[in-house]
Parts: sequence; C-alpha cells; structure tokens
Amino acid sequence: MATITEVLERPANATGLWSWITTVDHKRIGILYGVTAFIFFLVAGIEAGIIRMQLAVPENGLVSPDVYNQMFTMHATAMIFMAIMPLSAAFFNFIIPLAIGARDVAFPRLNAFSYWSFLFGALLIHSSFLFQQAPDAGWFSYAPLTEEPYSIGKGIDFWALGLQVLGVASLAAAFNFVVTIINLRAPGMTMMRMPLFVWMTFVTSILLVLAFPVITVGLIELTMDRSFGAHFFNTVGGGDPLMWQHLFWIFGHPEVYILILPAMGIVSEVIPTFSRKPLFGYPVVVFSGIVIGIMGWAVWSHHMFTVGLGPVANSVFTITTMLIAVPTGVKIFNWIGTMWGGSIKLNTCMLYAIGFVALFIVGGLSGVSHAVSPSDAQQQDTYYIVAHIHYVLFGGAIFGIFTGIYYWFPKVTGKLLDETLGKINFWLLFIGMNITFFPMHYLGMNGMPRRIYTYSTEYGWDFLNLLATAGYFVLFVGILVFIVNVVISYKNGKEAGHDPWDAPGLEWTISSPPPSYNFAQVPQVLGQDHYWIVKRQAEAAGNPITKPEPFVDPETIHMPNPSYWPIFTAFGLLLLAVSFLIEFPWQYLKFPIAIPAGIIIFIGVMGWSFEPAAPEGHHGDDHSDGGHH
Amino acid sequence: MRLAPPRTRIDANKIKVKDRAGLRKIRISQISVMVLLIVGLLSVGCDYNSHMTTWGTAGPVAEKQALLFNVLLWVMVVVFVLVEGALLYAAIKFRRKPGDGLPKQVHGNTPLEITWTVIPTILILALGVWSVQTLFELDKPPAGSDVLEVTATGHQWWFEFEYPDADGNGTFVTTANELKVPVGRPVHVNLLSDDVLHSFWIPRLAGKVDMVPTRNNHLWFQADESGVFHGQCAELCGRAHALMKFRVQAVPEDEYLAWVAGFGKEPVLSAQAAQGQLVFNGEGGCVVCHSATGPDSPATVDARVQGFLSGLESPVAPGPNLTDLATRGTFAAGILDLNRENLRKWITDPESVKSGNHMSGRATVYQTPDGTTKLNQKQVSNVIEYLLSLK
Repeated sequence: MATITEVLERPANATGLWSWITTVDHKRIGILYGVTAFIFFLVAGIEAGIIRMQLAVPENGLVSPDVYNQMFTMHATAMIFMAIMPLSAAFFNFIIPLAIGARDVAFPRLNAFSYWSFLFGALLIHSSFLFQQAPDAGWFSYAPLTEEPYSIGKGIDFWALGLQVLGVASLAAAFNFVVTIINLRAPGMTMMRMPLFVWMTFVTSILLVLAFPVITVGLIELTMDRSFGAHFFNTVGGGDPLMWQHLFWIFGHPEVYILILPAMGIVSEVIPTFSRKPLFGYPVVVFSGIVIGIMGWAVWSHHMFTVGLGPVANSVFTITTMLIAVPTGVKIFNWIGTMWGGSIKLNTCMLYAIGFVALFIVGGLSGVSHAVSPSDAQQQDTYYIVAHIHYVLFGGAIFGIFTGIYYWFPKVTGKLLDETLGKINFWLLFIGMNITFFPMHYLGMNGMPRRIYTYSTEYGWDFLNLLATAGYFVLFVGILVFIVNVVISYKNGKEAGHDPWDAPGLEWTISSPPPSYNFAQVPQVLGQDHYWIVKRQAEAAGNPITKPEPFVDPETIHMPNPSYWPIFTAFGLLLLAVSFLIEFPWQYLKFPIAIPAGIIIFIGVMGWSFEPAAPEGHHGDDHSDGGHH
Repeated sequence: MRLAPPRTRIDANKIKVKDRAGLRKIRISQISVMVLLIVGLLSVGCDYNSHMTTWGTAGPVAEKQALLFNVLLWVMVVVFVLVEGALLYAAIKFRRKPGDGLPKQVHGNTPLEITWTVIPTILILALGVWSVQTLFELDKPPAGSDVLEVTATGHQWWFEFEYPDADGNGTFVTTANELKVPVGRPVHVNLLSDDVLHSFWIPRLAGKVDMVPTRNNHLWFQADESGVFHGQCAELCGRAHALMKFRVQAVPEDEYLAWVAGFGKEPVLSAQAAQGQLVFNGEGGCVVCHSATGPDSPATVDARVQGFLSGLESPVAPGPNLTDLATRGTFAAGILDLNRENLRKWITDPESVKSGNHMSGRATVYQTPDGTTKLNQKQVSNVIEYLLSLK
C-alpha cells in the first residue's frame, strides 16, 4: 500500500484554504464545526420563520401544505443534527483537549473525518431542496407514512441517507472523545477533578456511542424498505410501524440528553466562574449527569403513550419519566447553591447561564406534566409539547451554547465580545423566546395539534399564534445583534488577555488564542479548579500571575500533521449515499457511482492507515497519530 | 423542595434583627404579589369555551385527565415560584459590588443535597401512584355500564365510524366524520387505520389514542351533556393532516335511537334528485368509492382498500359512506358546512378545498388538466340535489 501514500504527499500548508481542508488541529476543526453549524442554525431558523409566518393568521395561504411539511421536518432535523449537536461538537473540539491539558484529541485525523462527514451529510440532506423533494414526514419520520405508497419521491431517502452520513460523523467523534478523555488527561487530572464540561462531554459521547447504532439500524431498515422493497415497517407487506417508533425513540430519547448535557456542562463551568465559588456539590452534579445519562434509556416510551401500549407499559414509563426529574432538579438546586453566597458578576455570559437555568426550569416542569400518561393524552402532539421542547432545546441547549460562546470566544479569538451588544442580544433572545414559546402552552391546552399548516378561526387560536409569530421577529433581531457583535468584536474587540474571567480551567493558563501546540509543557494538575489553586497560591506568595504560559518554538514540539485522507474518505461516504438516491431515468448510474465510492473509501482508509506521520524532511518520530507524549 | 441554606446564616452579619423582620414582611408581600401575578398570567390564555379546548371538559374521561393535569399544574406553579424565586434572589442579592473580596469557598452541603433529592423523589412517587391509578381507571369503561361499541377507522384524510350493534338489536350503521352518540352512556371506540398513522382526539371528551395499522387500539368516552364536540387527527398523516376533523354529536337516547331506526331508509327522491342518482351511479362514478344506500359488504370494503394500496393509478379507494348524508351538519371531514354552495365547490374542484385529497387524485371524473370535474354544472346540481335528499 505504500504506493498509495507515495502518490499523495502529506500536506504541509500552515495557512490558506488547503490548510483548513487538510487540518487535523482540534482547534481549527472546532472553529469549522462552529461556523458550519451556526450557518445551519440560521437556515433552520429561517425555516422556523416560514412556519411562524404561515401560522400567523388562520387559513393562511403563504405556503402549500407540502412546503409546510417540509419546513417543520427540515427545521427540526437541521436544528437537532446540524445545529445543536455540531455546535456542542465545536466546543468539544476546541475546549476538551485544552481543558484536560492535552496537545490534541486522541485521533486527530478521525476528528477531521468527523467534521467532513458532518458537512457532507448536512449538505446532502439540504440538497433535497434543489430537487424540490425535501423530506416531509417530520423529524421522527413515522412509518408507514415514510413508505410506499404513502411517500413518493426521494425526500425520505435524502433524510435517511443524510442522517446515516451524519451518524457516522457523530459516532467517529464520540469514540474520539471517549478515548481522549480517558487517556489524554494531564497528570493530576483524576476523573473527579475533571471540569464539569469535560464530564458532560464524556457522558454525552458514551450516549452517542450507544444511541446512534440504534437509529443506524432503523435507517438501514427504512432504506431497505424503500430501495429494495423490504417490509420492516411497511404495513402493506406486514411490517410493524411500532418497531420504527421503538427504534427511533430508544435512540431519540438519549438524543435529547445528548443535546442538553453539553449545555449543562457549560453552565456548570460558567456559574462557578462568575460567582467566584467552586461548584456546589461537585460530585452530586457529576453523578446526577451520569444518572440522567443512564435513566435516559428507560423512558423512551413516553413518546409513545398514545400508541396503545397498554396501561402496564404506560405506568412503567410514567414512573421512570417522572423520576428523571429528580437528578435534573438536583442540578438546578446545585447551580443555585453555587450562586448562593457567591460574588456574582452579571455580565452577558452569566446572564445567559442564569437564563438557561430559568428557562430550563419551565421546560423541566412542563415535562413532568406529560410524563404522566393520562395527562399526556391531552398534550401529546399538541402545541403544549412544542412549547416544552423549545423551552428545553432553545431555552436550554441554545442558551447553554450562547453561554459557551460568550465564555470561550475570548479564548478562541483573543478578543472579548462586546458587553453592550451582548446584553441587547441576551434580552432580545430571552424576551423573544418567552413571547414565542410561552403562548404555545395555551395553544396546546386549547386544543391546537402540532404540524397543521392551517387552522380555522372558530377555535380561538388566532391571537396566541400571532403573538408567537411576533416573538419570532424579536428572536430574529436578537440573532442579528449577535452576528453583528461577533463581527465587530472579532475585528475591533477589546483584547481579552489569557484569563479575562479569573477562571479555574486549564485552558485559561495559556494565551488567547492558544498556540498550535496548546501547552508548551504538560501541566501538572493540582486539584479541582486547578488554575484557581495556582493563582491563589501565587497571590499568597506575593507574585500574582498576570501572564499566560510563555511561548516556545512550535518546531520543537511534535504535532500531528495535516492529511488529505479524512476529507477524501468522507467524500467516498457521500458518493455512496448519493448512489442510493439515483433513480429513473438515471438508474443505470447507480452502480457506476456506488462502486467507485466504495473504492474511494477503501483507498482513503488504506492511505490513512499507511500515511507516514511526517512529510519528507520534517523531523519528528514515526509513530502513529495522537500528539500525545 | 424549598431551596435554602437558612437565610439567617447569610444575612445575620449584615442586617440588624429589626430590619430583618421588616425585610421578611416585604419579602412575603412581594412573593404574594408575584404569586398572584403568575396565577393571573397563567389563567389568561386558558380557553374554557371553544370547541377544541381541553379545559371545557364534558365527560368523565376528560375530567379525570384534566384533574390530574390541574393538580400537577399547581404543584408546578409552587415549585416554579420557589425555585425561580431562589434563582432570582441569589442573582440579585449576591451580585458583585466594587471592593468585594473572594466569597467563602463552600464546596457543598451533604444534608442539603440529601434533602433536595429525597423531597422531590417522595413528591414524585406520590404523584406517580395517583397517576398510575388514574391510568388503569381510564383504560376501560366502568364495569357493568351499558356500553355502546363503535369502530373508528382512520383514512387519509377522514374518519369512518361503524356501529356493529347500534341499537342493541344488531342494527349495523356506517357513517363518516360525524359520530352520533347518546348522552350519558359510555362509548367504547375500537381504533383502526387502513393506511398511515392517525390519532383520535376529542379534547372536551377524551385525550387521544393513535390509530395504528396492524393494531387494534381502543379508548372510551362519555358525553355528560348533549352538544357537538369537535375532534381532530393529532398524528401527522400527510398533506391534508390539518384538515382531518370530525365531530361527536351527543344527543338524548331517544333521539339517537330514532336516528338509528331511520338509518338507510329509502330516501324520497324528487325528479331532479333521481337524475342526480343516475349521475352518482353512472357517469360520475361516485359509487365506485362512496356508498349511499347503507353499509357495504366486506368484499366491497376490501376491494376499495386494496385499490387504494395498489397505487395512484387505481381509481378505487375507500370514500366516506354517504348514507343519510343530509342528516349531518358538515362534510369533507368536518371542514365544510353541509349546504348547496359548499357541495358545489367541493364536487366541482375538491383540490382547491382540500389539497392532496384522493378523490381528485384518483377518480376518473377529475382527470382533467386543471383537476376540476368533467361533469357539467347541470349534472353537478343534480348530484347535489340527490345528496341533499339522503335522509
């Protein structure tokens, strides 16, 4: 195989487009993830706007029912798989190695592969718009609506195959972070000294590793049904539509925690920093996160209370679902406990963290009301649930992500985000979010079902719908202010310095933005809140720390080299997915595309495996990737 | 549930005893104002009068479900006020002032942790026990009651209702989109679907249960007052999901029995209506999917379902049974009032009323460039006359 690797020399560009395409630096990949995911966040946000404008008045004809169904399907799919998850992944990538004192993740090229697969999968699903065949059966795609003869066209295929590619990306990334967190911690960083964000990333990654295979199986079976006439879920052929629901929600409920746990991790770091107090009950917060991760597997059927599983199954899932409120509540109490008696700095970042807690309480409480299956019978598939998930995922996950952006932007760019614009941004989002989503509780209890493109005026839903639409525009302006803030602050923002918040984490010991090698010397971790300990000791000794760790010549440090293979292999994966989408009159192209796709993946993996660690003439020893020492 | 390291411990050094009492008084009045505000705000959006509201319960099933929700709601309000109050209080009270030093570095408090784990657990288990009781209670109609059996089948995009024994004497009745039931009697509904998932939901009478092909689900409800109760499909079922509605008409027992007795009686047809019947059975081809003379044989029903499943090319599909149509208040799955004008609109151009409907998609008579009917206006008028005589 050596011949393959001789054809393509290992790239060595440090700047320019190729340096980004071939990068394996976790920080650059983190930025790629963040920017790409934010763009998809905007796309999904526009789709939400179309939904809200269609529903602004009764019997509106702005979009056709088909387009409306595509909008809510793509809004949810994009927000979950292409915005929130990869935005969390952006933080995992950028922050985790810094927070545990490592040079990079365990498998830097696999990390690059994750990003490119994510990008290609996301583009594949969105390309369905070009063919006017966007998926339209909801983000849950319940069978048999997704099957012949009810779903004609390629929308569901785009959805299933795109998610499959995104799943590969998520799985690869999750394995990478599990290995990184277990193996690459700096000396002294025991598990129970890890920052909460690292802990929650760890739990999330394990959930991903266990949950994605389930949806992968489901998607393969769905693709089998659609492409080869199998009958896994197709009732016409005797398939079982509930099997899809079980598979989907055994994945789907842990997925909810995959979305929220990283945000909880972020908030658990920000609240202590700006309260100048260690996290209240650190072990309890850690274990409640783990318990949520485990219990998340025992509640999936609460999404299926109305499908007729019978009172025994519904009782069990009622109780397990109610109980999951306990560890969630414990986290909230501990956050408030951290603030209690602290010295709280109410800057934008902390406002977002407090906003997260405040809104998540609402989502958590409404969650209890549909954990109870008889009560849920009136709420399932109504706007009450829409309100709930947006309090949890917008008020929760998105607010958590904004907390993270305001917290770590200085580390990533070296510049502080503007506080005035930041506060305008926060209040617009906070108020806009409540105007948009709080009325939906009422709409649901007043009988408005979800996923209807029109409603008649006789049911009294007009005003609250109009109000929700008005709220959307407040959110829209809020997001614009955020974008302006990022652009202005990136260009002319205040210099952040290495440690603008007097923060406890390892990442704040090095300069902002961090050097390519992260830490010149492997840090020796002294305890929980390492940097606080170091700074307090230095203060006590009379020479407070004012500077980051000194720079060293990067040439003296062995770092993983850039590589063409990750994007090459990911491209093969994309082609393979595309080959399934080809149909009449181009069906004879199926195999001519699938076979080269397989060959590309094969060559990619081989080239990757046999790639020399360093380009010709560059020093550094010839061991495999890793950047560990 | 109450969150607090005791207030006195934190405030003691800063506030004199007298002030503290004053502070407490203010706090109590502030909290009660806040609670009143929240309660006021909470009730402002609740609709007790509309046809779809879950608040305006009219039967035991919806009532028990609403009671459970209402109790949970009040528990939620109390928890909300306490926890958000503590959060807000902490954020304001402990904000950094210039010159503040490092606060006391507290790492946790085990008794407190245990308290706020155990109390919610007990609260939740107590609510859980009650929930499970309600769940089993609502599973079946009370034993020994005089239950009316109905089978509801979901179709894209309308509801079919069959009464295997409508009057206790074995009378079989088939209708669509309007379910007539006697007041005060439990109705046990078997839920089926011929195509995709649907969900059967009458907010004022009972929470929803899905209609799942391959499964035989059921629910029951009882209307304690006479009136019209609106229902709507609550599970995404394709393009016209939003327009898939139905109504429950609860009427006194004798009125109900009179309706059953009159079902399928030979209608009195005027000359024009007789012309319409000819179009209905002949050129219009309506009868291929719609029966208008009583229930269908199982073979006919099966043939229509198979026609539908065999794809868009087949002009055959199950259509609402139109027997006694003129006794209904609405048609087209509850979206149009039954009158001449609406019938003309629907028969002439169904696509403009209900995008994606299988009638204009499949029936031969609608295979025109713009999807409107091949029948001329005279024929349409005659069909309308015929339909309005079906009683």
